[in-house]
Formats: sequence, C-alpha cells, structure tokens
Amino acid sequence: MKTTVSNPSGWKSLITFTVLLLAWLSGFSSRLFAVIRFESIIHEFDPWFNYRATAYMVQHGFYQFLNWFDERAWYPLGRIVGGTVYPGLMITSGGIHYVLHALNIPVHIRDICVFLAPVFSGLTAISTYLLTKELWSAGAGLFAACFIAIVPGYISRSVAGSYDNEGIAIFALQYTYYLWVKSVKTGSIFWSCLTALSYFYMVSAWGGYVFIINLIPLHVFVLLLMGRYSNRLFTSYTTFYILGLLFSMQIPFVGFQPIRTSEHMAASGVFALVLVVAVLKYMQSVLSKAEFKYFFTFAAVAAAAFVFLTVVILTYLGFIAPWSGRFYSLWDTGYAKIHIPIIASVSEHQPTTWFSFFFDLHILVTTFPVGLWYCIKDINDERVFVVLYAISAVYFAGVMVRLMLTLTPVVCMLAGVAFSRLFELFLKEEDGPAAAAAANAGDSDSDTEASGDHKSRNMYDKAGKLRKMKHEQQRDNEGLGMNIRTIVIVAVMMMLMMFAVHCTWVTSNSYSSPSIVLASYGQDGSRQILDDFREAYHWLSHNTDSDARVMSWWDYGYQIAGMANRTTLVDNNTWNNSHIALVGKAMSSKEEDAYKIMVSLDVDYVLVIFGGVIGYSGDDINKFLWMVRIAEGEHPKDIHESDYFSERGEFRVDAEGSQTLLNCLMYKLCYYRFGELKLDYRSPAGFDRVRNVIIGNKNFDLKYLEEAYTTEHWLVRIYRVKKESEFNRPRIPVADRSVRIADLTSKKARQRKKGSIKSKPTVVKGRKPAAKL
Amino acid sequence: MEKSLFCLALILFVNCNLSLVSGEHETLVLLDNLAIKETHSMFFKSLKERGYALTFKSADDSTLILSKYGEYLYENLIIFAPSVEEFGGSLSTESITDFIDNGGNVLVAGSSQSQDILRELATECGFEMDEEGASVIDHLNYDISDSGKHTLIVADAAANLIDAPVIVGERSGLAPLLYQGTGLVADADNPLVLRLLTAHSSAYSYVPGRPIKEYPHAVGKNTLLMAALQARNNARVVFTGSLYFFSDEAFTAPVQKAAQSAAQKWTASGNQAVSDALCRWVFKESGVIRVKSVAHKRLNEKAPPPAYTIMDTVIFSLELERKSGATWVPHDVTDLQLEFVRIDPFVRRTLTNKGRGRYETVFRIPDVYGVYKLKVDYNRVGYTHVYSSTQVSVRPLEHTQYERFIASAYPYYASALSMMAGVFLFSLLILHYKEDPVKGKVE
Repeated sequence: MKTTVSNPSGWKSLITFTVLLLAWLSGFSSRLFAVIRFESIIHEFDPWFNYRATAYMVQHGFYQFLNWFDERAWYPLGRIVGGTVYPGLMITSGGIHYVLHALNIPVHIRDICVFLAPVFSGLTAISTYLLTKELWSAGAGLFAACFIAIVPGYISRSVAGSYDNEGIAIFALQYTYYLWVKSVKTGSIFWSCLTALSYFYMVSAWGGYVFIINLIPLHVFVLLLMGRYSNRLFTSYTTFYILGLLFSMQIPFVGFQPIRTSEHMAASGVFALVLVVAVLKYMQSVLSKAEFKYFFTFAAVAAAAFVFLTVVILTYLGFIAPWSGRFYSLWDTGYAKIHIPIIASVSEHQPTTWFSFFFDLHILVTTFPVGLWYCIKDINDERVFVVLYAISAVYFAGVMVRLMLTLTPVVCMLAGVAFSRLFELFLKEEDGPAAAAAANAGDSDSDTEASGDHKSRNMYDKAGKLRKMKHEQQRDNEGLGMNIRTIVIVAVMMMLMMFAVHCTWVTSNSYSSPSIVLASYGQDGSRQILDDFREAYHWLSHNTDSDARVMSWWDYGYQIAGMANRTTLVDNNTWNNSHIALVGKAMSSKEEDAYKIMVSLDVDYVLVIFGGVIGYSGDDINKFLWMVRIAEGEHPKDIHESDYFSERGEFRVDAEGSQTLLNCLMYKLCYYRFGELKLDYRSPAGFDRVRNVIIGNKNFDLKYLEEAYTTEHWLVRIYRVKKESEFNRPRIPVADRSVRIADLTSKKARQRKKGSIKSKPTVVKGRKPAAKL
Repeated sequence: MEKSLFCLALILFVNCNLSLVSGEHETLVLLDNLAIKETHSMFFKSLKERGYALTFKSADDSTLILSKYGEYLYENLIIFAPSVEEFGGSLSTESITDFIDNGGNVLVAGSSQSQDILRELATECGFEMDEEGASVIDHLNYDISDSGKHTLIVADAAANLIDAPVIVGERSGLAPLLYQGTGLVADADNPLVLRLLTAHSSAYSYVPGRPIKEYPHAVGKNTLLMAALQARNNARVVFTGSLYFFSDEAFTAPVQKAAQSAAQKWTASGNQAVSDALCRWVFKESGVIRVKSVAHKRLNEKAPPPAYTIMDTVIFSLELERKSGATWVPHDVTDLQLEFVRIDPFVRRTLTNKGRGRYETVFRIPDVYGVYKLKVDYNRVGYTHVYSSTQVSVRPLEHTQYERFIASAYPYYASALSMMAGVFLFSLLILHYKEDPVKGKVE
C-alpha cells in the first residue's frame, strides 16, 4: 500500500512547491540590501517619476491620471503624462494599494512601490519555471527558477526601491513567452487569448514589448521555413496577433504605432505569410504533390517579396514611420554616437563589456551555450523559440548594457537545462549522500515523466531521435565510475555555491545603492552616509517659491520633481531633444549668453552636481561633453565641441584647459569659490579630486547668478538666477568711462563722520543750528 | 490644480521698502552751504507748497542718515551740493545707490565745480559728468547777459527739450531755458537713460579759457544738460550739470540770445515751468501708472478655469490706472498690447479700450499645449514701466473630449455591426440546423 508520503507525485509537487517558495523568498530577501542598509526609499532617477505618477494616480484616480497634463515638467512645454507613459507599473501598484486598503491594511504607496520589484521577482521565477518546464523538464525549470531569483543581471533592475518598468516587465515577458509556448504546443485558442492578454500587460508595462512582437513572429517565420507549419501554429499566431494588436493599441502611449511603425511590421508581415501558407496547405490537399512543391516555393517567395515591398513602399510614402533612432542604434552601434548623442550619453546604452557578462551572469554564461546546444540537438517547435530567444537576446545584450536584462532570463533557462541534464547524467542510479539523492530524486523523476510526456506527444514532435539518444547517453553513463561521478557532482555543486556567493556579493556591493544616498567607507571600515542630494532637494522644497523653475541637466529632472516638487525644464523623459539642447547650450555658453537663455526660459534656480570635493565621478563636469555635443547638434553655429578641448585635444579643467571651457557657465557654477577651498593639508587650494588637477580658473565672480545653496560635501550646488529687475541701474563700468575719476577713498573717521566740501567757508559750521527748519 | 498664478510685477510708488515718517513726501535736501536755500528759494517754496516736507542738511553733516533699522527715512533726495567731496554721516555713493535700488528718487544738480563723488554717483546711474572746471560753452547760443565766457547758454524748448509732456511739461509756448554749468554724456546704448535737455549742436563742454588740446568729452547734441534715469524698479533719478538752472535768478531772468534781436527777448525764462514739471516727475507725482486688476476666463464663463484647453476662446481684461494727487484715476491709452507667450509670443493683440481704464481682448488659444504667460509689457517715455504677467496652463484635449464618432470610420462601424448581425443570424441558422436532426432522432 502506498501512503501519501511514498507517493512520488506527492513528493514531486511538494519539492516543486518548496523550491519555488524558497526561490521566491531568497530572491525577495537578497533584494533587500538597500532597504536594510539605507531605508525604504525610491532609487535613482526614473523610479522617482514612476513613484510620483503612481502617487498622483492613487490620489486623483485613474482617469485624472490618464488625462494628466504635467505643467511642472518640461517648462514651458509641459508633458502629457497620461499619453507618454507605460501605465502598467502604476496600475499594478495602484491596484495593490487599492486591494490592501480595501482590506483595511493601511500601507503607504511608497512602500508598495519600493517592494514591488522584489515581489515580482518571485513571480518571474515561477513563470520562468513554467516556461522552462514547457521547453525541457520540471527539473530544469526548478534550476532556472532558482537562477533567475538571484542572478545579478536581473537583480540590477529589481532591488527594493528600484521602482521601474523592468521590475514587472520581465515577469510579463516570461509569462507571455510561457503562454505562447503553451499555445503553440496545444494550438488552443484559449491559450493564445491568454498570451494576448499577457502581452497586453507587457505592452502596458514596458517599451520592451517590441521584443515580444518581433520574437514571436520570428519564431513563427522560422517554423514556417523549417517546414514545421501546423494548424496549431496557425491558430495560435493568428489569434495572438489580432488580439495582441488590438490590445496594444489601447495603451495611449503606443496608440497607432503597431500599424504605423517599422518595428511592428515584421509581425503583420508574418501574419500575412501565415495566412498565405494556410491557403497553400489547403491547396496541397487539392493539388498533386509535384505540382504543389513547385507552386509552394514560388508562392512563398512571391508572398514574402510582396509583403516586404508593401512595407517598403508604405514606408516610402510615409504611411509607416521609418525605424526610430533607438532601433538603428541596435544595428549600428556607432549610429547613436554620431546622430543621437542624447541616446549615446546614457551609460546604460553603451555596448556591453565582456566583464559585465561574467559579472552579471557568472557561471551561467558558460553553461548557457551547453543548454542551447541541447535544445538545438533535440529541436522541436518550442525549442526553436528558445533558441531564437537566446540568439537575439545575446546580440542585443552585446549592443546595449541595458538589454542585458532581456538576456538574463533565457540564460537562466538554458543554464537550467544544462545543469538539469548534467545532474540527470551523473546522478542516475546514484547511491550518494542521502540529502543529494533526496533533492534530486524529484528532478530525475520529473524528468522521466517529462520524457514520457514527449513520447506520448510524438504526434507533433518530429524529433523522433530523442528516445534513442537518451538510451545512448544512459549507456555511456554506465561506463562512468563512481569516483568521476562524485568528483563532477561535487565540483558542480561547488560552482553553484560560488555562483550563489557571487550573486549575493554583487547584489550587496554593486546593485544595492539607492544612488541618491551615497555611502563611503573610511579606512577603519566605518560607514559615512553622504545625503547631499536629499539635502539639496529639501532645501529647494523649503526655501523656494512653489512655482520656482529649476534648471539642471536632464538626469536630475525626475528627482527634482519627485523630491523637491519644483518645476523642471528637462527631465529623464528625453522626449524633446531641442529643449535639452537649449539647456545644454545654456550650460556650455558664457555667463552672459547663458543668462539670455535662462531669462527666456524663466529660470529661477540652476542646480549642478559637483563631485570635486568628495571625488564623486558621476558629476556634471564629467557629463559636460555630452551637454556640449547635444547642444552642438541643435545649435551648430554657437557651440563647437572642439572649443572645449585643449590645444592637444584633451578635455581638462586645469590651467591648460581651453578658455571656452574655463569660462562656460557649467565650469563657473561647479567651481565657484572652489579655488579658495583647501581640501586637506597636502593638496593645494582648488584641487579637484575627481579629475586630480588644480582647476585652471580660480578667481572669478558670478554676475548674473548668485550662490543660493551648497550642500555639505559640495555635491549639489544651487544658484539663483538674478531677475532682470535686479540689474536696476545701467552702471557704466570703469573701463568704459570717458571721464577719469580719482580713486575715492573715504577719509571719514570712525567716530566723527564728517564729510568734506571743497572751498567751504568755516563760518557755515557756526550757522548749523539755524539750518534746522 | 489651480495653477494660474498672478505675478503682478509692478512697482509704483515709493513702496513698502520706504516707510513714511510723517505720511508726507519726506525729502532730504543736501546743500553745499545754506545760502543755496536762499538763492533757490522759489524752487524750494514750490516744493513745500505741493506738500513736500523738506529737511535741509549740509552735505558734510556728520549726522546724515538715509535709513534707520533697514527702513528709509526719506522718499526723495535732492543733492544741491556740487562741491561736496565726501558726504557726511553714513551717506556715500553706495548708500545713495542702495537708496535708488530700493525705490528712492534722486535729483542731483552739479556745476562746473562738481567733485568726483558726484561723478561717481553719475556713473552708477549711467551718465558721466564732465571734468572739474569744465562748462558747456556755446559761442552761438549764449544769453545776452553772459559774462563773456559764453557759458550762460540758452536752450530752446522746441529744439533741445525732450518731447515728453509728462516729464518736462508742454514744450509749445515755452520760453527758452537758461543754463550754466557742466555737461553730461550718456551711454548711447543705454535704454533706460532719457536725454531730457540737450545743448545746441554748436555747444561743447570744456574748461573755459583753456586752449583746447584734446577732444572735448561732450560735443554738440551729445552734450546733455539734463538727463534722467528711470531705473527698472521705477526709481527716478535726474542729473543736471547746472545748479544755476533751479535758482531764483534763472527763474526770473529775461532771456535773449546774443545773436538775436531784442524783439525775440523773453521776459522770463522757461526754467521755472520745466523745473516744476520735472520735480513732479522725478518725485513721482506724475507719470505713475499701474495695473489695477487683471482677469482672464473662457468666453461666456464666469471664473477662470484651473487650466485652459487648446483652442479655447479666452477673454482677457485689464484695468490701468494713473496716480493723480493722492488718488488713482483710470488711465486711457490706445496702444496697450497683450502677448500670449510660451518662450515666443504665439498671439499678440492690441487691447481695445472699453473706457474708464478698462481694456479687453478676445483671442483663441493656439493648438499647442504648454505653460503660457499672459503678458502685458507697457513701456512709454515718462511713465512707469507697467509689466503684468499671468501664468496659465494650456492642456491638450482630455480623452473624453475627442469626437466620439468620425465620418471616415463609418465603413468600419458598418462592418462591425454587419458582423454582429451576421454572427447572430448564423448562430440562429446553426441552431436551427442542429435542432432538426436532434428532433428527427427523438422522433
């Protein structure tokens, strides 16, 4: 008699449940470094906008949010927030907030925003498990779920406080792919409808939905090329495409893009192609085989050419917008640097270094090709999908650091496949340590079951070799000695352990800084908190008019709006390049030219970030060349990048730097009165710790601005722009005077403040009392 | 979302920065010596009659003070002390310029003996006074009573006086003006300086009797006899190189150009009339206008909305008033303009005068959203600078404000409806066909 305890399926689900729960928990906890070290605070830049928008939505309701015209951003242009935002994130956290409050759990919306990404990382783990299970086996799925829960490449975007679109979008991405694979497998309208719904959520959450709407058609297209067309494919794709198209157009920010831009054309092209192929298949049943083969090739080529030409012609006629600059920069990595400096200026848009692949993925980056190879070897419909996913994601991750995020899930999945296969080989019929056996029994069990599944579904799975190969491998295994097995197992376990250690270390050291609060460590290991950003923003919010307009480089726009609640000129939603260029021009012009721009934009305060005192390298001087480049792009007559380099072509702020640089507004605002500052006894006055030079222009005064506030470590400096009325009188400067005036020094004594009158009769003094009226 | 804020930048009167000791126009008069009080008695008398409380002090008085505890004791300052080298007490160039920057009005008269401190003060206001000893010399237009150095010159009202009745009174019928003293020059690019009285084209400013070795600082029409500055805060400053201009002697003296016949002799100079008008202006009795109220709303609505929508029709109205004595009366002009500005002006309209100082215009907001300013910037010679700027937001259409049904979509509506009807019909048909065999089976 089998009890519940000895029932293998009971064990299996218990293990699955436990592993997923633990993955969720460990993923959640390892994302809490920032909260524990600092506080429950929103991080970085974009999250501040998301938080502000969410708070607005919670306060004013969804329709007000949809119609929100933010006059405090992009002054004086304003920004239609409702129409320029992916609202999924706000709706998600707003929904959670609503439910919790309906249950009388009073949680502040900020805490929901802070902890949203860690919570969703657990959901990502589960959906990765489901997807991998569909692709390979439950064991591989569990591996993948554990990997994705702690892998730094994903944690970098989802630590507590990093309240950004990516935090929920990766879950939506993985879940959509799971549903898509499921619907291709089953060919049921139900699953493809769910795919479309999940896709809708993804569209509402992140601009990366374009990845889905190109990858799924690519999958279908490749399946067609491989001759793997089936009615299941037809049903799932057509259902998904039509519903997904209609859903995606419901998001105001997306609007008509799915039918008007080149990025979405592949999907509609494949849709047409699938229809053509379906017609051909029908023809096949009517025509004879030889006739058909010829006809098929011809028709397929003709259809493809027709679709392609239609797209080209429509693009040419202007019905379809050409590829946007961001997409060009995906194919030509040098494109952005030349044509769109604003994209290239963002560090996360830079090409990825090899180092960061290992840093973000560690051991997975080496095992992932193995998993890919297994998938290619045992190819079937859904494995084609994962192969395409892997290849495209690897390419994109190589182009942009930011897209590392899309690579991470597929790497986890394929590494999961590889490890599961490895353990399958080396633990089969293994009488090793009891713990290991127990842990892996579930895996092998589920694996055998999964392979059983494959056998039973041979009707669609053309990879008939699968069984044979497994036999071969098993036979090979039998030759392996006990020692080799143990050594390999221990080595792999060690590697996995090191992976976990590495993940924790990276998370703790690199990805858990809120970046608005900085921490520095003294030589004795003591920690100092540099809270200059918030200090400055709070100063702004307490000491300036509520409608004061603050000019800063766009990086700080969201933070100023979120923390100081002041009007900004430009922010991280870089939708208007010329407005940013205008600010860049003001920053890179001389003070008097900048003043004209600032007056025309009604600027009240200017905020700059200066790291020269504490050695914070992400400051405005280091970003300054991008300001110049962006300004030059729009104002090529006034700003020339070459003027800011020294004669030897170097960008330097010391005495050898170019005069244009040493006299521009940004330089003056950063280094105002810095020349008087001696940081320590050894270094001379005016020593910049970031650039390690003594600044070149030390003694200057500001005419049109005055220092309003400088934070404790000089990290943020705020200047007030003088109003025109403060230049009350048109004083004639000494140099312009035609009549020379002797230097007037007062001869007045401290006590007797009597003036002097030339040729004054002394008698007058005696009459003074009579002078009174 | 009440975001339309009123920024009524308009400084009119010697405003809150100056506290009034007695409620009257407190005026400090600095003199070289108290004899000037007697030689200029007509000038001071007319001021007193108009209600000015004059405090006479010697310029080197060690108790001189303009402000106490951050508040100014005087509204106006008259400096009739050409030969002062250094002011007494706490007075200095800086304290006088601070006084101007805080809205105080200053009248300065120099002479050919003016010292550097007045020159310094002049440069702070955008003029330059010629060197010590220099006088304006005109060998053609000097008065018949001139002592022979041709420094007592005659300025004609029509040719030399600025055409601004608010500042200097009516020019027509005005007797010529007598002037004796040094010349002024002003920066030609300076938009705030008013050239009240210039010399004839034959005049120049130089030390009389000294051979001319270098080019004089002021020649011809560039020689200013009287110059005024209305600062950006509407404080008014008048500089003249001639203390004599305000003297009883000049007020009463007959005028006759030496070159002209006795028939063209005037029994009294125009100095008194000009000085009266000038004092009214510089001490802000005349030429002071302000915005009384600004209102804007959608046409046919009562209150202004929190934000306008693009292509709204907006009615903008404004009331302008002028100071007259102690009261404010409506000010009627025809050239007041409104600008609707977002970096650049999108709409510019002349406001129509509705009478009694009310102005109004109706315009349509352009199809561009953003944060705009309703700006009225009225700058006329002699009048205070009127600037009113009201910020309003213009938002795009809300999602419910678009057209619900559009004509070009009718085919799609038709297709959707026909599809629905088709599904309905076909489902009926299918149900009907299914029923038959079932019935047949049952039967």
